[in-house]
Amino acid sequence: MIDWDLALKIFTFGLSAVFGSLAILIGAIYAFGKIINRIEKKGE
Amino acid sequence: MLDMVLTTGLMHLTVGNLIMWVIGFFFIYLAITKSYEPLLLVPIGFGILMVNLPLTFLMEEGEGLLWRFYHYGLEWEIIPPLIFLGLGALTDFGPMIANPKTLILGAGAQFGVYVAFFGALILGFDIPEACSIGIIGGADGPTTIYTTVHLAPHLLGATAVAAYSYMSLVPIIQPPIMRLLTTEKERRIKMRQLRPVSKRERILFPLVTVLVICLIVPASAPLMAMFMLGNLFKECGVVKRLSDAAANELMNIVTIFLGISVGATMSAERFLKPEVILVFVMGLMAFAFSTAAGILLAKFMNIFTRRKINPLIGSAGVSAVPMAARVSQVMGSKADPKNFLLMHAMGPNVAGVIGTVVAAGVFIALAG
Repeated sequence: MIDWDLALKIFTFGLSAVFGSLAILIGAIYAFGKIINRIEKKGE
Repeated sequence: MLDMVLTTGLMHLTVGNLIMWVIGFFFIYLAITKSYEPLLLVPIGFGILMVNLPLTFLMEEGEGLLWRFYHYGLEWEIIPPLIFLGLGALTDFGPMIANPKTLILGAGAQFGVYVAFFGALILGFDIPEACSIGIIGGADGPTTIYTTVHLAPHLLGATAVAAYSYMSLVPIIQPPIMRLLTTEKERRIKMRQLRPVSKRERILFPLVTVLVICLIVPASAPLMAMFMLGNLFKECGVVKRLSDAAANELMNIVTIFLGISVGATMSAERFLKPEVILVFVMGLMAFAFSTAAGILLAKFMNIFTRRKINPLIGSAGVSAVPMAARVSQVMGSKADPKNFLLMHAMGPNVAGVIGTVVAAGVFIALAG
């Protein structure tokens, strides 16, 4: 007997984790990119 | 005399053994003559031959040589993370850092993983087995092996061979789906040249990524940590020896043990079952849906973005680095010979690897 509740939980949590973690990573890349650019401009 | 004959393997050969020999020889043939994933199919094919030799007891628990490779290499989770260390040292995240939006395409291409997951459940597999089958859609061999060893080790031979087979068949599987889901005009979309990425950004990326991903999905840490460590070796520029060792010698050594260990799980009694065919069918479905989802997500993103994305790069989100990115390039240049998509496609391509590891981490955390 398949535990469909668990299957749905795996699906929703899994897809949310994939999109959520990569979305946070996008934000982090933009953020550290800007910080590094500022530091490099100041250095110049 | 009869006793002596009975001690030879010849008298204990089964039809199943012979069928598996044919499969083993076929893998070696494909590797040598067609160059289909030769680094893996040669040791896998040879491992199949070895494990189907009667009375050799190479997979005898606690004793057999191949069992030791399998037990300490795969069951102890040593080999897949070491492969990821090497992959990290070989991966250039520059195109992805230059255009972070493409990370979303890597996430979208995981959709097929869940389609195959539900498909496998409907076909009667239990949840851990369905997770192991679904992850084939990520088109990432070491992640598929890592997940299957955790959740459904009896399916290891089938899922690993399906994953690597479909990865090598990317140039055949993906183009019809790409043509079906895109118009000629869309395939001609030219993307802006990527900005240069500074060394500081390249160094910070693996450090930030390992923290973000492992905090959200701790179960993905063994693969993700080694992936990013390998990339840090590559990008920091002060440990060239370690980077070279991870990308070359170590990677080659663990690939040998990975291939032999996977082949060793493919004994006739474990592999010759109807469910193996279903694993291959579901794996193909996962692959096709992942390709389609990546393309459709790119088209969806184009509704909202000012700078258009060529939807062909969406299909590269299925990982299969760098083959899937090359297919995007080939399809793009067929529509317009002046269209260069390779570097753009490398963004979703490497993002797909991260996405698959996250999906695998959730599977292991919830179904393990």
